[in-house]
Amino acid sequence: MSDSNSTVRWTLNGTEVENEAGMTIMEAAKVHGVDIPQFCYHPGLSIAGNCRICMVESNRSPKPVISCSERIAEGLEIKTQSEVAVDARNSVMEFQLINHPLDCPVCDKAGECVLQDHSYEHGPDRSRFVEDKNIRHTKELGPTIDIWGNRCIVCTRCVRFCDEISGTGELCVVERGDRSVVDVFPGVPIDNSLAGNTVDICPVGALISSDFKYEARVWNMDKTSSVCGGCSRGCNVEVETLDGFVKRLTPRENLDVNDWWMCDHGRYGWRHLYADSRLEGAQHDGQAVSPTGTSGALHQLLSSSSSTAFLVDPFMTCEELHLVRSIANSLGGSTIAGWLPAAGTEENFPGGFKISADKHPNRKGAEHVLGGDLFTTSADQLKSALSNGSIDTLVAFVGGDGFEGAGGEWNDLISKAGKRIVFATQQGSWCEGADLVIPATAPLEKEGVWVNEDDRAQRTRSCRSLTSNHFPSELVVLQELQVHMEQRNRPLSAAGIFRELSEASDAFSGHSHSSLGDSGSPLSQRPAAMSSEGGQS
Amino acid sequence: MANHEETPEEKPETATTVPREKAAFGMPLIKGLANTLSHILRNEPNTIHYPAEKRTPFPGYRGEHRLKRDELGREKCVACFLCSTACPAHCIEIVAEEAPWGDREKRPRLFNIDMMRCIYCGMCEEACPCDAIELTPVYNIPSRSRGEKIYNKEKLLSL
Repeated sequence: MSDSNSTVRWTLNGTEVENEAGMTIMEAAKVHGVDIPQFCYHPGLSIAGNCRICMVESNRSPKPVISCSERIAEGLEIKTQSEVAVDARNSVMEFQLINHPLDCPVCDKAGECVLQDHSYEHGPDRSRFVEDKNIRHTKELGPTIDIWGNRCIVCTRCVRFCDEISGTGELCVVERGDRSVVDVFPGVPIDNSLAGNTVDICPVGALISSDFKYEARVWNMDKTSSVCGGCSRGCNVEVETLDGFVKRLTPRENLDVNDWWMCDHGRYGWRHLYADSRLEGAQHDGQAVSPTGTSGALHQLLSSSSSTAFLVDPFMTCEELHLVRSIANSLGGSTIAGWLPAAGTEENFPGGFKISADKHPNRKGAEHVLGGDLFTTSADQLKSALSNGSIDTLVAFVGGDGFEGAGGEWNDLISKAGKRIVFATQQGSWCEGADLVIPATAPLEKEGVWVNEDDRAQRTRSCRSLTSNHFPSELVVLQELQVHMEQRNRPLSAAGIFRELSEASDAFSGHSHSSLGDSGSPLSQRPAAMSSEGGQS
Repeated sequence: MANHEETPEEKPETATTVPREKAAFGMPLIKGLANTLSHILRNEPNTIHYPAEKRTPFPGYRGEHRLKRDELGREKCVACFLCSTACPAHCIEIVAEEAPWGDREKRPRLFNIDMMRCIYCGMCEEACPCDAIELTPVYNIPSRSRGEKIYNKEKLLSL
């Protein structure tokens, strides 16, 4: 026996290995670099064990065992590549493909389909099935999801997702045997806020997002690891673009934030990037300004100003806010305040997933960079100063999806400033009559760091490309302004600005873009031990 | 290890292991020269008067593309993008749309081939799972403008 109860010695493909007790064979094998194929198993869902593709040979059983639910035990000998195991896998693959239509050319899952991959790796190259294939229903399951029943392999991942993670239980398996297929109850469509995840976890192309249907082939798209800007949760997402245009968003695994999921508000909430009202070029008193001349015009307006106020938004990255702070400091006598978008409703799901009521991604970060009273006391002061007319020049950032501007009260107040410089994503009343309107980057187009509601700093990366957007980002415009003001020799990347920020601010000290990596890190968890007071609030 | 104990003598005789003195290169050389000489002495023209006289291309000749139609006259293409994926010259542009027919889900809304960029390799034809695109033996394909050399779906279906 092993020295402690917590570890188990077992044999994997002839090599003796050691793992924590209680792990399944599949999990433990993965630790040792042995991947066992899987359809119904998903790390975020309960174990169903109905697809049988993960069968391996065991010394404790006359028949192969399923590695997704079988636990490791002392003295267990598992072979994943023996004749028994390979035969079992081949047979399961052949059975899975009996009723599968093999319509990969028109299936949107092709290219990221688990059935395709396993068929290529483990399956026989031809079918012995000469009978007619079963026909199952093709229909709408909900406003965003369609089912192609013929493709379904009844792994029940989607059914378990609706039972366990979203807790809504709309999906069920109807019929028996080879006629089984996923369906909804009559009159109860699948329309919960997490429904889109069922499409992601479907190992085949049975569940298809009607939003993405026939939009692109998955292998042609470029992926950017970014962060959703829809709420202060900061779900990690993969932005998939075709020729520079966003086609869909998929969740990226991060067990500290969003597990494997994301909500439909974020998933389908990127159309504002290509709205008709989107600002594409800078305008100075109604005249178009070239992208290279934007910062010059901005400098001209700011240098002739006696008192300047900055109105920032919680969609700006910490880097942009840091630049605003240093510009405001060097102008002297300037004030900074922030506006917040209207709060939404918080949604909590039994699976632990949460949609935050704060519909902005970086309030915490803004408070760390610019002070804790940015959205409260400072905002009230700026509001009264604007209504008094005591603000000469106002630089307003109206980001986010931008359809509502900065919110009702602010939109009116912005127009009361003597001179107005507006960074905006969308055209609207907040741009009308402004001296200088500069196009702003929306969430998913920003390069930098956002701090979510749990004080976790995460990098958001830009999905912009030369074909989709031509204007320079705020990060570039603000730095060019600093070059004009002789504060900076040349613009830096977002990582360079973040380094400046981490040197200037206690809250961010010790962190860097590379240390944050793809999955981010809590601000309190820094490499070197720093004082716990943190932030400037 | 058993494989490493194999001696050089046990190796089967292959083209590369034939000793130089055994290699018969004399006779083939003479045969080749005789063939050349016979063609010179025959004194027949080996060229044709091209525009007036046209050569029939060999089977498998890869000329201009066309899109095929099925028995109902609809395009066979289902917009799977495999031809554009296989294309080494990236000259095929496809935009898919939902097909209006019950028996098929997808069809191309746009199907453009940039014939100036195409290298006529035939990979699109090989990749096509629906036998919808093929290279015809048409080799006489000049045009008066660059725009004409970008073939759209209608043009490709009419060929």
